[in-house]
Amino acid sequence: MAHNEELPRLITLLLLFGGVAGPAAAPPNIRFQEVAAKSGLRFELRNGAAGQFHQIELTGGGVAVLDYNNDGCTDIFFTNGAAIPSLRKTGPEFYNRLFRNNCDMTFTDVTAESGLAGEGYSTAVAIGDFDNDGYPDIFVAGVKRNILYHNLGNGRFADVTAPAGVGGADARFGNMWAVSAGWLDYDNDGWLDLFVSNYVVWDAATEPRCGTAERQFYCHPKSYEGLPGQLFHNNHDGTFTDVSQASGIGRHIGKGMGVAFADIDGDGLTDIFVANDSVRNFLFRNRGDGTFQEIGLEAGVALREDGFAIAGMGADFRDFDNDGKPDLVVSGILNDSFLLFRNLGGDRGFADDSQRTGLAMGTRMLTGWSLGMYDFDNDGWKDLFFALSHLSQSDRYMGLDSILPNRVFRNVAGKRFVDVSAAAGPDFQQAAMHRGVAFADFDNDGRVDAVVSVVNGPAKLFRNVTGGQSHWLAIRLRGRRSNRQGLGAVVHAHLPDGRDLYNQATTTVGYACSSEALVRFGLGANRVAERIEIRWPGGGVQQISGVAADRIVDVVEEVKP
Amino acid sequence: MTAGKGAIAVLLFAPILFGAMPASPGQAAYERANALFVARKFPEALAATEEALRLDPKLVPALTLQAKLAMAAFRLDVARRCLEQALALDPRAPYAQFLYGLVAYMGNDAKEALPRFRKARQLNPTDPRAALYLGLTIESLGQPGEALSLYEEAVRLERAAGDLHAETLLPGARLLLLLGRLEECERWIRQAMKLSPDSRDVHFELARLLLKKGDAAPAVAEGETALGLSDGVVTDAAIHYLLIRAYRQNGMPDRAAMHAEIMRTQETPAGNKAKD
Repeated sequence: MAHNEELPRLITLLLLFGGVAGPAAAPPNIRFQEVAAKSGLRFELRNGAAGQFHQIELTGGGVAVLDYNNDGCTDIFFTNGAAIPSLRKTGPEFYNRLFRNNCDMTFTDVTAESGLAGEGYSTAVAIGDFDNDGYPDIFVAGVKRNILYHNLGNGRFADVTAPAGVGGADARFGNMWAVSAGWLDYDNDGWLDLFVSNYVVWDAATEPRCGTAERQFYCHPKSYEGLPGQLFHNNHDGTFTDVSQASGIGRHIGKGMGVAFADIDGDGLTDIFVANDSVRNFLFRNRGDGTFQEIGLEAGVALREDGFAIAGMGADFRDFDNDGKPDLVVSGILNDSFLLFRNLGGDRGFADDSQRTGLAMGTRMLTGWSLGMYDFDNDGWKDLFFALSHLSQSDRYMGLDSILPNRVFRNVAGKRFVDVSAAAGPDFQQAAMHRGVAFADFDNDGRVDAVVSVVNGPAKLFRNVTGGQSHWLAIRLRGRRSNRQGLGAVVHAHLPDGRDLYNQATTTVGYACSSEALVRFGLGANRVAERIEIRWPGGGVQQISGVAADRIVDVVEEVKP
Repeated sequence: MTAGKGAIAVLLFAPILFGAMPASPGQAAYERANALFVARKFPEALAATEEALRLDPKLVPALTLQAKLAMAAFRLDVARRCLEQALALDPRAPYAQFLYGLVAYMGNDAKEALPRFRKARQLNPTDPRAALYLGLTIESLGQPGEALSLYEEAVRLERAAGDLHAETLLPGARLLLLLGRLEECERWIRQAMKLSPDSRDVHFELARLLLKKGDAAPAVAEGETALGLSDGVVTDAAIHYLLIRAYRQNGMPDRAAMHAEIMRTQETPAGNKAKD
């Protein structure tokens, strides 16, 4: 039996409500209110642009959510740029920032006391408890400088990059430009390993110039040499070993942007997807022996259906059709169309369902950065949220403003996605240079909120105010044999109305960003989940029955002697 | 916005056909330049064009040809200047106006291309090229309905002139595929197949359609045919990628793996040459 302190209450609830679903109702509109200023969340991402069209100006915006002080309220961390070409944070306007959630939907800037202001040109962030001490740690990736912060548990963080050995210098390329990163336990040893997605070779002094003197613009990625990703194995003692070459990952040169992790074929091993910019995407199948096989082509996720390499940006592995297999969504730029790959199961790979679900035409005129597939209306079907803005010069060429409003697409029974942004409230219609987005339930009301970074503008906090009576459940995992946060666990919820829902524990969502580790389910009219089954990364399976809705359930991994 | 390189080449290397022109001292040199350009003797064509313009700086066909020479060399800035000169001299020159739109289109500047193609359509409503490229521009700006109408119009105009080309049918077929209108898409592709049975682009599009319909075996056949043809702009990589999926869907993973291996081997240094 699972660790569940709420069980007696649960049984009472079960008796009271009998687990019977209420009458089906018309779905409410997904709606958001933007509350950043009201909440005291005042942050502006500075990309250091000064009219020189440096490529690095385009890629920042990483934002993370974490409960760094374990008070049950989700905090927010923003990465920030630096001066160019020095790549130094020459003033507080360039500091990375941590905001503590005061548990009343207000936030306090605790950057100074936490020691997280940082150094260098930061782009991305990944949250994971790498030492299993119960406090989430922070990895900040950037241009030629990555930093690992150990959460000391007292509100302060220590830079442990050097002793941990995750500085990231490559034998061939030296210090690289990282755009995304994520934590996973690829060898199921109970300790989180680190994957870093690197983009292109960049140096301010030798950077190519594109356009004319009167009409300069950002160069196409083809003007830059690509870079390999990196994998660092956790040695269980606060240090890591760079296994990029030994694992096979370092032999693949791409132009890495967003990353996503999932067990794509149900073999109990976490696989890795890398969205590449204008070259084919990589899917690294975990062989279980410390090595990976790149199978993007064979699996059908390397390119768009017509063989075109889109400018891949953000990615998320989630099961959009509730068939128990993680599907994959990838954002791109104007005229790419975003991609939705449906997992066919086993070794059958993926089918490109972008057109069939309406996502291809619905996103063709968009440029998407970070994203996430979450059930914003808690109807049991995961929806899509995209942080959007065109590249800065698009307005010149396409007659389109570079700023865009974000978009939310409602999942209609796992068959199609409908753009419901227009009904998402007036705040949601506001255009900006959106980049990162991370997801969490900041006010603990069961509805998934979103925090969005904006290039050279104020960050946004979208509070989910979707109406309706839908119920929800969140599972907070605590691994014992597995990694402490249970990252990589797959959770299956069986509902009284016969539906089966699936989700997984990961903080690696979107582009450059990190979302909450909780595993969430929208239950629709169901007031209870008949059965929750957790498949832990190590392979252990655990069940709990009759779980009442509308709460966070703590589940501690059972370890049999 | 992606300009179809092959289609644009066809446009560029077509001879310029102007109506009766008043006698010009540069006429003979211009006609020689035009013949040289069609024969792809570019340095000679450029020299003859410059001679024509020296003899008559206001010779609009020579300015237009000079623009085409510049476009063939992807000197879009030079082409734009030549066409602006030509259009200043003769604002109602439809072909110069069309090329003026094409210069913007090739430079991914849909905002500029749109009014230029619209004007070219006004100047010569029977020109299928203007309808086609206006459609492509409008499609890239997110208006598939209007784009499809323009593709239909381009096809109608070419058919009326007894000169229908497969290249004119393919943009509409691709859009119909994207819209999920598979039966209509198939009709367009089958027409294109009749016109250009040896086009790799047409066979590739048919293979895509068949794969989308779940007909993996015929998709394999069409893909393999496309791979064996050289007439077209679809890359080998795109065809290999299609064949990987078609073979896998057809229960032939070994053949799929072979095409994946070929793709990896043929990739440029910017891509991935590693082998697992």
